[in-house]
Amino acid sequence: MKTLEVVPLARVEGDGGITVTLDGKKVKSVTLDVHEGPRLIEQLVKGMTPEDDINVVPRICAICTLSHKYAAIRGLEKALAIDPPEKAQLMRDLMMLGENVESNSLHTFLLALPDFLGYPSAIAMLNDYGDDVKRALRLKKFGNYVMEVTSGRIVHGENPGLGGFGKYPSKKQLSDISLRSKELLPDAVRAVELFSSIEYSEYSEVDTTFMSVNAPNEQFGLAGDSILISNGNETSADDYKKLTSERVVPHSFAKRSKFNERPFTVGANARMINMGKRLDGQAADLFKENYSDRWLRNPLLNNLAQTIEIVWALEHMPETTEKIAALDDPARAEATRTTGSGTGAVEAPRGILYHHYEVKEGLIEVADIITPTAQNLDDIEVHLKACAERMLAEGKKDEELLLPLEMIARAYDPCISCATHLVNLKRV
Amino acid sequence: MSSPRVGIYGFTGCAGDQLMILNCEDRLIDLFGAVDILSFAMAKSDNKDEELDVAFVEGSISTEEQLEHLKNIRSRAKVLVAIGTCACWGGPQAMKLEEGGFEKRYKGVYGDAKIAVSKALEAQPVDAFVKVELKIPGCPIDKTEFLSAVSKIVAGRHPYFYKFPVCTECKWKENLCILLEGKFCAGPLTKAGCGAVCPSHNIPCVGCWGPTDDLNVGAEYKLLIEKGYSPEEVTRKITKFSGAEVAKLMKGLELKDMEAKK
Repeated sequence: MKTLEVVPLARVEGDGGITVTLDGKKVKSVTLDVHEGPRLIEQLVKGMTPEDDINVVPRICAICTLSHKYAAIRGLEKALAIDPPEKAQLMRDLMMLGENVESNSLHTFLLALPDFLGYPSAIAMLNDYGDDVKRALRLKKFGNYVMEVTSGRIVHGENPGLGGFGKYPSKKQLSDISLRSKELLPDAVRAVELFSSIEYSEYSEVDTTFMSVNAPNEQFGLAGDSILISNGNETSADDYKKLTSERVVPHSFAKRSKFNERPFTVGANARMINMGKRLDGQAADLFKENYSDRWLRNPLLNNLAQTIEIVWALEHMPETTEKIAALDDPARAEATRTTGSGTGAVEAPRGILYHHYEVKEGLIEVADIITPTAQNLDDIEVHLKACAERMLAEGKKDEELLLPLEMIARAYDPCISCATHLVNLKRV
Repeated sequence: MSSPRVGIYGFTGCAGDQLMILNCEDRLIDLFGAVDILSFAMAKSDNKDEELDVAFVEGSISTEEQLEHLKNIRSRAKVLVAIGTCACWGGPQAMKLEEGGFEKRYKGVYGDAKIAVSKALEAQPVDAFVKVELKIPGCPIDKTEFLSAVSKIVAGRHPYFYKFPVCTECKWKENLCILLEGKFCAGPLTKAGCGAVCPSHNIPCVGCWGPTDDLNVGAEYKLLIEKGYSPEEVTRKITKFSGAEVAKLMKGLELKDMEAKK
């Protein structure tokens, strides 16, 4: 028996590793281990007011900070029957577009691309691919700027709140976002070209199921009250427990999810598979050019899906900012009750994020947070195992397995900090 | 002179401080050029565990495996810098450190399942275990404060951080005082450096930068009680981010109050 280890798994957010146990030519097991320490956030927010909760929960993860904030806001607004004004809704759409551009460009260019081109980091690519690294930094910086303008800060902004925003951006800031999103579009298109020119290895291909939110009005989007499943079904987000049925495994401080006893995938590829037909503009053309049924089997294509999504996000900023600029600043909508429950579902860059709350007399009694990476962990292991088995069957040396396995895990854009912080629901 | 040898490490937290380093974007290339970054697992693959001039450590310590790793980093580093609220003060996950009940909360999350990765500990700040030469505050750290601190450290100088609370920055911005509006604001207790960003957005300070140097919990506590908040509510709000530290001070206060009532 021999064990191969990749510890730490570099260029991901958080502390994880891959352990492959080999028995002769057979792969006994492949596990994605989560070493990131537990924080027990959902237990800590018990007894807090909803306002305090939305300060704390975004700290689960810096990369998905606004997704956490928004999922919590959606869940708590349902619980307290708050009806947010239109301008606040549009601001939330805009902040999610910003986070999507920021996170997708960080992951594709700076974290994933070095593997495909054979470098240890994006910095090491500077001599040979300087223009592309700079392109990535421009896109990422712009995504951060949109997050800053909408949320008040690049990371952990407190401006988005229950019922509205503390302060709305100026017309100048909004037109600046609009202008710059148009200017940066060629950089995003170049990202799609780069990732569509890559030869993706077939070793990890296994058919699976994909889940995403169903964005309202038949549009492609990053939040919704129901969940689309790639088998054609649709379920209310309130049924998130059935969709994710969690369990604890010995090699991880992150819990695991299965749907109908089978692993599934969430993320940009799932969004494209379920909502790709709704894309418009250049994003629609790029999707049509690049989409094939390989997307249903090959996790590496999530990188390509993320780049198409950057194009979509940039193309939708001008319209969103114009709508925001045309509306007067509304007062915050108030809570109409102090007891209730609600589930918020949003698309973090790496997939569906659920926040479920039960509030009693103004204080949180139950918080249940299910992160996208936790939903993906089982499926990551399935694809890792398939890859290891096929490579060994072809007579590859043990050491040759390591990089391809890392690349598969990385393709899911795992956010290990997020994944350790999910907590199951314990009724009191 | 060879470039200073630097390692950047992350423990339990949101990775936001490491992300802020990556967020230095156009200055990131200069940063990687000015120092020799031997380890930065979030950003690169070819990481080495060697002797370091400076180790930057993000996050609180919440497993035995992390504690061993932290001690190892300390033994290799001339200077250890804690970056961000979790490393400096424990962060939200340490808010109930003074109150106990960790076992119960842990069970509430993981039940009786055996997790073999490592033994979990209640999260504590880095200086609960090893010597820390410098704390860079923030949740997350501020890019400008970080880059200015790094340039001072590599030049062998001591960086400067604001010693006064958020209120001072808030006054510079000519904001109306949120406490005077009758709303809870953690500004008087919280270290400046964020640019009073929340009050500038009409939102009360949430205290994420950690306690200020000239902390006067007593005065703020008294003020808030006068404004009609209950002691439990005040404790809950001001221990959200740097709980362990502030709770210690709060504990003394509540006892004093109780004695006074007697």
